[in-house]
Amino acid sequence: MDETTIREQLRAYITRDLIRDESYPLTDDEGIITGGLMDSFSLAELAVYIDKTFGVYIPDTDLTVARMDTLDQIVARVTQV
Amino acid sequence: MTLTFIAIACTAALVYNRLVPDRWRGWMLMGASIVAIYALQPFTAIRQLDFVLPTFTLVLTIACWLFTRAAGPFAQDDYAALLFTVVLVLAVSATRYLVPELRLTSRPPETPLVALALILTAGGIVLLWRTPYLAHDRLSIAMLMLIALLVMIKYEPLTIGLSSVLRSWRGQDVTLAASTDWSWLGFSYVAFRLIHTLRDRQTGQLPPVSLREYVTYVIFFPAYTAGPIDRAERFAIDYRALPALTAARLTEGLGRIVVGIMKKFVLADTLALLSLDATRAAQVTSAGGLWLLLYVYAFRLFFDFSGYTDIAIGIGILYGVQLPENFDRPYLRNNIAAFWQSWHMTLSGWVRFYIFSPLSRWLLSKPKRPPLILILLIGHLTTMIVIGLWHGISGPFVLWGAWHGLGLFVHKVWSDRTRKAYLRLRQRPRLRQAWTVLGVALTFHFVLLGWVWFALPDLESALSVFRRLFGL
Repeated sequence: MDETTIREQLRAYITRDLIRDESYPLTDDEGIITGGLMDSFSLAELAVYIDKTFGVYIPDTDLTVARMDTLDQIVARVTQV
Repeated sequence: MTLTFIAIACTAALVYNRLVPDRWRGWMLMGASIVAIYALQPFTAIRQLDFVLPTFTLVLTIACWLFTRAAGPFAQDDYAALLFTVVLVLAVSATRYLVPELRLTSRPPETPLVALALILTAGGIVLLWRTPYLAHDRLSIAMLMLIALLVMIKYEPLTIGLSSVLRSWRGQDVTLAASTDWSWLGFSYVAFRLIHTLRDRQTGQLPPVSLREYVTYVIFFPAYTAGPIDRAERFAIDYRALPALTAARLTEGLGRIVVGIMKKFVLADTLALLSLDATRAAQVTSAGGLWLLLYVYAFRLFFDFSGYTDIAIGIGILYGVQLPENFDRPYLRNNIAAFWQSWHMTLSGWVRFYIFSPLSRWLLSKPKRPPLILILLIGHLTTMIVIGLWHGISGPFVLWGAWHGLGLFVHKVWSDRTRKAYLRLRQRPRLRQAWTVLGVALTFHFVLLGWVWFALPDLESALSVFRRLFGL
């Protein structure tokens, strides 16, 4: 799966299931957690989704604001494995 | 941590930076930390327990390092660190032959006896380490043992029972057995650091660390008494390249220490004179008076703990280690989730990594997944009750944890339902500002009322204070 597909799938999942507003214009470098759009429970949901969809396990210790705040960071984490 | 200890740590830091060559600094920090855990351990009524408890902390630490290390031969540095630790423990025990003023603890056991006990304990640990049928479960068993030890020192009936047994064995008066006999300084923090490394080893996340790095990380003296709870891999980065003390670092470190002393020893200790406790709650007759005691309690607690953290971070800077921050203006947060991201941050990070996140993920991944709202409730309640129990196994601490767990649950449900409206506030800055101010006031008072469970020793007095606060 190429990076663009992963990025768009993640963007769709985050806006639909975590922000719960499909019309929200989520940009690549927007702070999703620092902007109050996601919290630690959403990060756990996102980790389960990434594991099931892309087969990438993200350790709990990586589910932090410092590492998973923007779509760019999340995509980088998924594609680094 | 006393002012004398802080003064000694600051003076020693100057000597350390001036006289100790770079390659010996790591060893010095390890040695200073080992000596400090004996010096800091309070006197215990049970004879020699104030020597045994820090020694047991070291034994547990070395055992956990052995269990968490990757396969392969031991490095020379590891043998040297083990020898160094044993020599220092024996040296502390040898102070029994000196005048009492020169001892770090009350009279320690005889040195040959300590040596024999260390040999037998080492044999037991190696046996555990090499037993093939335990290989798969060794890390889990070690974590369960640490949790059992935490329960033992935090559940009063157990500590009293254990104290009776020890008193009887030592020929001391059993009727005087009390939970205070078991004041095992720093163990709550040590246990969480050890569990972090054991769990990270289990999930393959722990990078290799030497025995010297591991022991110094677990018992690093500025953070030994009350945190912050650093992470091993982060600590190791600092430890491997301890920087020279520049004027900027000296100013920063001393500045943090001065701020910490002002907060802890001036502000907090002054506020303590008017802070809520069982005696004052019983003496005050008006609701207004009780509210005043509660406000004072909230600020005393903050200044005391954040002041301690400032001192610990400041001393760490003087020795070249940048400990993580623990507080970030928590009483100015506009929701309870933000409060927990800024109050005792290293503890809340720990429970998020090792309880909330794995539990939530496990429930979310189940084939017959429970409703999302139930997972949310279970996750928040379990996590916060664990934080409550970590402070002490008693009804008020459980209720304090449940109070915050429910608060986080309600906030999450509320914020999910109102997110669209909240996002629209971005276009209306004044309204957003007013909303934030309201959020800060609401969050602060929610936390404030939660402190009632924390401040009072039993449910009855806490409930009585709640009733009287609202004139009931």
